[in-house]
Amino acid sequence: MKLTALQQQSRRNNSFRGASPLDSSVDGTIKSPAAIFWLVLHGLCCLISLVLGFRFSRLVFFLLFTNSTSNTASNFYSKSSFRDSTETLAVQSSLGAVTAGSLPANMTTKKTGVNTRVVVGRHGILIRPWPHPNPEEVMRAHRLIERVQREQRVQYGVKNPRKVIAITPTYVRTFQTLHLTGVMHSLMNVPYDLLWIVVEAGGVTNETTSLLAKSGLNTIHVEFNQKMPILWEDRHKLEVKMRLHALRVVREKKLDGIVMFADDSNMHSMELFDEIQNVNWIGAVSIGILARSGGGEEEISVVQKEEEKNSGLPVQGPACNSSNHLVGWQTFNSIPFTGRSARYVGDRAIVLPRKLEWAGFVLNSRLVWRDADDKPEWVRDLDVVAANDIESPLSFVKDDSVVEPLGSCGRKVMLWWLRVEARADSKFPAGWVLDPPLDVTVPAKRTPWPDAPPELPLPAGEKAVILQENTEKHSTKSRSPRKRRSKRKHAAGNIDERVSITRSGEN
Amino acid sequence: MRDWRWGFVGILFLVFVIRTEAWKFSKAQHEHTERISGSAGDVLEDDPVGRLKVFVYELPSKYNKKILQKDPRCLTHMFAAEIYMHRFLLSSPVRTLNPEEADWFYTPVYTTCDLTPNGLPLPFKSPRMMRSAIQLISSNWPYWNRTEGADHFFIVPHDFGACFHYQEEKAIERGILPLLRRATLVQTFGQRNHVCLKDGSITIPPYAPPQKMQAHLIPPNTPRSIFVYFRGLFYDVGNDPEGGYYARGARASVWENFKDNPLFDISTEHPTTYYEDMQRAIFCLCPLGWAPWSPRLVEAVIFGCIPVIIADDIVLPFADAIPWEDIGVFVAEKDVPNLDTILTSIPTEVILRKQRLLANPSMKQAMLFPQPAQSRDAFHQILNGLARKLPHDRSTFLKPGEKILNWTAGPVGDLKPW
Amino acid sequence: MGSMERSKKKVQLWKRAIVHFMLCFVMGFFTGFAPTGKTSIFSSLVSISNRSDFSPQPLEVFPQSKLENYNRSLLDGSPAAVPAATSKSDQDSFDDDQATKILKEEESKGALIPRRLLIIVTPTSMKNRLRGVLLRRLANTLRLVPPPLLWVVVEQQSDSDEVSEILRKTGIMYRHLVFKENFTDVRAEMDHQRNVALNHIEHHRLSGIVLFAGLSNLFDLSFFDEIRAIEAFGTWPMAFLSANRKKIVIEGPVCDSSEVMGWHLKNLSNLTDMIKPAIHVSSFAFNSSILWDPERWGRTSSAQDTSQDSLKFVKKEVLEEETQLKGIPSADCSKVLVWNLRI
Repeated sequence: MKLTALQQQSRRNNSFRGASPLDSSVDGTIKSPAAIFWLVLHGLCCLISLVLGFRFSRLVFFLLFTNSTSNTASNFYSKSSFRDSTETLAVQSSLGAVTAGSLPANMTTKKTGVNTRVVVGRHGILIRPWPHPNPEEVMRAHRLIERVQREQRVQYGVKNPRKVIAITPTYVRTFQTLHLTGVMHSLMNVPYDLLWIVVEAGGVTNETTSLLAKSGLNTIHVEFNQKMPILWEDRHKLEVKMRLHALRVVREKKLDGIVMFADDSNMHSMELFDEIQNVNWIGAVSIGILARSGGGEEEISVVQKEEEKNSGLPVQGPACNSSNHLVGWQTFNSIPFTGRSARYVGDRAIVLPRKLEWAGFVLNSRLVWRDADDKPEWVRDLDVVAANDIESPLSFVKDDSVVEPLGSCGRKVMLWWLRVEARADSKFPAGWVLDPPLDVTVPAKRTPWPDAPPELPLPAGEKAVILQENTEKHSTKSRSPRKRRSKRKHAAGNIDERVSITRSGEN
Repeated sequence: MRDWRWGFVGILFLVFVIRTEAWKFSKAQHEHTERISGSAGDVLEDDPVGRLKVFVYELPSKYNKKILQKDPRCLTHMFAAEIYMHRFLLSSPVRTLNPEEADWFYTPVYTTCDLTPNGLPLPFKSPRMMRSAIQLISSNWPYWNRTEGADHFFIVPHDFGACFHYQEEKAIERGILPLLRRATLVQTFGQRNHVCLKDGSITIPPYAPPQKMQAHLIPPNTPRSIFVYFRGLFYDVGNDPEGGYYARGARASVWENFKDNPLFDISTEHPTTYYEDMQRAIFCLCPLGWAPWSPRLVEAVIFGCIPVIIADDIVLPFADAIPWEDIGVFVAEKDVPNLDTILTSIPTEVILRKQRLLANPSMKQAMLFPQPAQSRDAFHQILNGLARKLPHDRSTFLKPGEKILNWTAGPVGDLKPW
Repeated sequence: MGSMERSKKKVQLWKRAIVHFMLCFVMGFFTGFAPTGKTSIFSSLVSISNRSDFSPQPLEVFPQSKLENYNRSLLDGSPAAVPAATSKSDQDSFDDDQATKILKEEESKGALIPRRLLIIVTPTSMKNRLRGVLLRRLANTLRLVPPPLLWVVVEQQSDSDEVSEILRKTGIMYRHLVFKENFTDVRAEMDHQRNVALNHIEHHRLSGIVLFAGLSNLFDLSFFDEIRAIEAFGTWPMAFLSANRKKIVIEGPVCDSSEVMGWHLKNLSNLTDMIKPAIHVSSFAFNSSILWDPERWGRTSSAQDTSQDSLKFVKKEVLEEETQLKGIPSADCSKVLVWNLRI
């Protein structure tokens, strides 16, 4: 705009010079640097007056439209209060539209000076001929909503958020895709800078890699050269080692931020990610424990009884006194489950949490750095910690009292812990790609299906049978626990059938 | 030669001076809008105390307290401003017990507290009641006759104000009660160039229960995920079976055009999360109903939802103090079919600015009648409005013996004693 | 004489200069009245008064309805000016996010390519003790689906505001529907809930692809892109898993490219089932217009049975209209993108 104005300016000057002979005569009389100076000055002044004019007009515009908007607005309205039936489609013809003429004389006189008359009586209902919203406008509206939400975060959200470093131990198994996808979706929603360190037991696999690639998140995929054991007890221990391994990555790369431990079967409320931004050095949040057996009915009823007694989900996390000071730890009451807790992955019993799950802790990543200037003296070094068998991140501190209880002092549950797995010997199609595609059980109506003999209805869950057969061949590792419970399995087999039938109707 | 050159330098200098002045001026303008966005215009911040004195007539309780006792529902409906204003004035520092020094006289009559079993106020008795009250004050005190009410103010929050009828056509036929034609009216009704809106009236927001709204406040970081929100009637089938009278057809048009638009969260059902939903909406429709105003306007401002005002020629509450054009969106009734296009083509920055202005506590405060009163609330804005009308015009006071009002004008039914 | 001429010339010069200035001034004056949106190009010149430039804009809203195209182009130009005009606090806290922000802005500009509306129907029963947790999990997934998406969540009317509180924090565009009826049977309740949602869609004549997403479902994000391509009906293989079991059951269509050739359904006990195989409610999606515009789909008077039990009607339609059934994913329906996990 400015440029074009300048061009116009110069063009104007030129034309002026060319057009008026008087001009040239003047120029002729003064042939000196002064003339050039004069010209430049002239041009400059012209430019200035142009700018001035522009400013002035903006001012006028501004004054007009802000201070007397009511005037202009009323102008708009006055035009609009008369319905133009040709312009818009009126479904109900404005038969009884009584115009202002029938009104008693307007007694009021307004300073606005606009002759608006109030239309009283029947009006047409304006319905536009095109029924559906313009898809482009819908998109625009959504973009606007997104922008408003972003602005809300800026105005009312966390100021100067720190980077979130999520640490997840995982391994390939039937439920991995389900669990990991859930956590991945939570992390993808985090509005802050995020780094996801995924430690995979048994080495990096394509299965996990392709899953992580879908997230588009900043990830570090670390391999851990030990197979995930079948016993829950061992598994927990290995997971601790995997988390410590990830912490070593944090230490080596000197990653700065807040470390959280996101197990692949955790479920998160998005508020958690705002809440952990409040941590100073080491914080603890409450975890809702979803102890589910997934198997027989009786275990569930035990959990439910427990829940009813405590009115709500069992919770594990910091316990505070009335003045919001950490006084101890609320733990999951496992007494009702003694002797009935799951021992190995896929055991048809309830998987119990550790005394304190890692997922309930958040750390300032500088705690594990080798040499952070402001590192508090109550911290144990990562190497020292890792040398021993540790249960929870509490081993990092010499004294529990330094732990900061988060989430209204543990009263707010923003994180849930659930450990359900398929049986350890369960197999799934690699990458969940059905190759070969499903066997046809029922032909589509329109396709003639000569091969399908309707006399032979296929047994329920035929596909499953095939899968099971496959697993027989592959699973050698999980033999021992399976043998141990093979007897019980037969008994449970019936229930199995029953459950699957009821479930099919459950939709 | 030299001197004109100097002349040019002079002009140049002058131009620069003017230019910088212009800058300064525009900057001042800029600061002005900024101030609105920061802490509201100075008018909203005014303190009326010391700028006016109000004398409250002592009326028999049958004009106010007794009516309230009969039907306590009046305390919560949207016309309750008349009750709370009375209570407020009784304890306000602007009240004077000496009528001689009063600038304004207030007659506490609760004219809209006559409810049907359904809770709808039908002001059939109001004219007689008002007349009776005026008769009383004019015979017991000398101040009415001095001005025939020109320095008196009345609170008439009904649909069509002092026309005292719920149907617009009838209200227009009736006109403003003849005895109130010189008085200043404080009313919710505001329709420009309307028979029932007297020049110089003060338009106030309808009453919305502040505690109840407070109780439903949710954190401001709750993401706004509704584009357009509206709950209420589209057709008033009971009173307007043909359609087209109610809301001049505008609400019906909203429904017919936008019910199938996913961006429009509109329905007749009133959910329990109504207030919460307004707080997570970007635009809240405030179409006219039988009258141009609606309590939605107050709710929208309180809950930071940009009000989309669909009511041609509406006079908005405290329009002299609240920058409605800056915080709301005005859509002409005939443009309702294009509402989606209109709303989606507002630049994002404009919307964010409106939201920033709406977040201003002064704006919200001016919409509320809290108990007890707080500074800058609607009570204070009413007093500010009255104070701005001072000093009274010379025409306020009648010459001795002069009579303007006709005590026998109006429908015969209104002349019957109350 | 000379001096006279000189003074004459001088006067002429003055006049000329003044004429020039006046002209320029007027020119500037009128350029100032050009539409305000364009002043963003001027922003370098008048950057300080950016805000005051914005204030008159609400007024421009009025004529915009008619000048739609004109304004669209205006609007397209404006995002460039947006970052410059954002408040200071904005810039402070967003410094490090600036890059992503601009990226997002560009991304969203490209996103103006219209997409189909997805209507996700989720019934939630109070009898499900994990309702809150699973609802959050599903919300986290749906939050990542590109707009437009409308989430219809149904629950029984109650005093608890658990569901509404969870929903309102998600930032997803949703409709929360409640019903009064009491149910003892969870299955009947779920079906009723779905019908409540379908009635809402029908009443509002919402146009989009309807998907029943239960709380036990898990989705791969690419699934949502796939179902946007559905014309009439779509179906896909779904894996059923339960905790502590060995077997996985996969049900679904058998396809040739995206054409459905047959079915694999678990629950086939007899022949009559084969004629009307039971299809899992979360394994198909459909165009909502079959609810409110049956004529378009070649049925004349199905209005009656839709209002009674829309769900039954839809299920029937899905199975009858195999020609219009699209298999998902379009490559032979051979990838599982939806799981049903029973805990």
